[in-house]
Amino acid sequence: MAKQYDVLFRLLLIGDSGVGKTCLLCRFTDNEFHSSHISTIGVDFKMKTIEVDGIKVRIQIWDTAGQERYQTITKQYYRRAQGIFLVYDISSERSYQHIMKWVSDVDEYAPEGVQKILIGNKADEEQKRQVGREQGQQLAKEYGMDFYETSACTNLNIKESFTRLTELVLQAHRKELDGVRTRASNEMALAELEEDESKPEGPANSSKTCWC
Amino acid sequence: MEPAERAQAARDRVPRIDPYGFERPEDFDYAAYEEFFSTYLVILTRRAIKWSKLLKGSSSVQKSMTDMNRTFPDNIKFRKSADPCLQKTLYNVLLAYGHHNQGVGYCQGMNFIAGYLILITKNEEESFWLLDALVGRILPDYYSPAMLGLKMDQEVLGELVRTKLPAVAALMDGHGVLWTLVVSRWFICLFVDILPVETVLRIWDCLFNEGSKIIFRVALTLIKQHQAFILEASSVADICEKFKEITKGSFVMECHTFMQKIFSEPGSLSMTTITRLRESCRAKLLAQG
Repeated sequence: MAKQYDVLFRLLLIGDSGVGKTCLLCRFTDNEFHSSHISTIGVDFKMKTIEVDGIKVRIQIWDTAGQERYQTITKQYYRRAQGIFLVYDISSERSYQHIMKWVSDVDEYAPEGVQKILIGNKADEEQKRQVGREQGQQLAKEYGMDFYETSACTNLNIKESFTRLTELVLQAHRKELDGVRTRASNEMALAELEEDESKPEGPANSSKTCWC
Repeated sequence: MEPAERAQAARDRVPRIDPYGFERPEDFDYAAYEEFFSTYLVILTRRAIKWSKLLKGSSSVQKSMTDMNRTFPDNIKFRKSADPCLQKTLYNVLLAYGHHNQGVGYCQGMNFIAGYLILITKNEEESFWLLDALVGRILPDYYSPAMLGLKMDQEVLGELVRTKLPAVAALMDGHGVLWTLVVSRWFICLFVDILPVETVLRIWDCLFNEGSKIIFRVALTLIKQHQAFILEASSVADICEKFKEITKGSFVMECHTFMQKIFSEPGSLSMTTITRLRESCRAKLLAQG
């Protein structure tokens, strides 16, 4: 059957509890916003197909529980992510300070070459702001990341940041993708290779080879 | 004091009509009754003192504040505008629990459990003690920082599925899906916000009476009932979607039939088996580090 997309990427949303990861995701995939969202338990995901650079990209976006102890579950998902959103809340200094910790977790658990982007969410909460825009920019620069201030509430920079991270992942996988382009006519797609890859390489009962 | 005097004294203190409206018989043993009741009063008093101390203590549980307005935003009693607003009650219960069980503190998910207990008992202190029974006694260590009990029970479910529903286990293995992806919330939230309220409450009745084994019965029943549907899945995303679908519809809505099914569908499930599986899964997880 013909695929509805050329390539499949997995992106991951991480950051402290309550910074608005789920809201960012809902705004992006369903264009919805609820001011009070139920806390995310464990891991969940949503999908959306976007077109970048003439390529139909299916993105699977994994949303994680922010509480520290849930790391024991969520870290298993870092491994197969190609792009990661590090999210803090501009009205919470604490969530900004913790970005350092999140970055070191990414270094530890995510694959080398994973693309990262820094997000300062709740940009609409100007009167409660504790983290200056330049602080965000500074931190992003230190880690060599792109930076966006977003608001899921007012729909600020949502599409832009998701598209940007997808572009970065695309660029990082340029080599494989050149293959996709040339074969696009006969419906061959990297997505299929990707899906094959997601099957365990080892014996069927070994959970160590699982990707999620 | 002479026994006769003691009996008379008790007779003077204990009402002739009991709290249920029955007149006490002529030969009612007031002294023995008073003694029985006073031991119980000691327990109640001890609990009440403990509770009031817990509420006063300073807090390391402040973090949980971000979850107060993220617990049942769709329940009118939990809205900020509600009077009384159950967010405050919830905060008190969770705060107190954090002091009481410092090894666990606050874990996301406990807010949903405590929230249901509050809705049902309409009482802060009772909710607290019921939460303590669940977290401290009935469930393995689901909510402690390492969440080892949670990971263990997810593995146990995987093993049970492998034995009882091998086709589903093969599907999960084939796509490399860990059970944690599809069932974490079942275990952590004890089916709150997953199954219909009445069904959750029926399950909890069994949980309090019979212990944590019931969670496996519910999970296995859901999976077995929808086995063919689950097996249609052809990708990881499909599998996740199907596991969400199977918690909806009339099968889970009809809580009385559902409760009968959980005792028949999964077949035999002895505590010996569960204990053995828990031990081996825990050991495996500890070895993995």
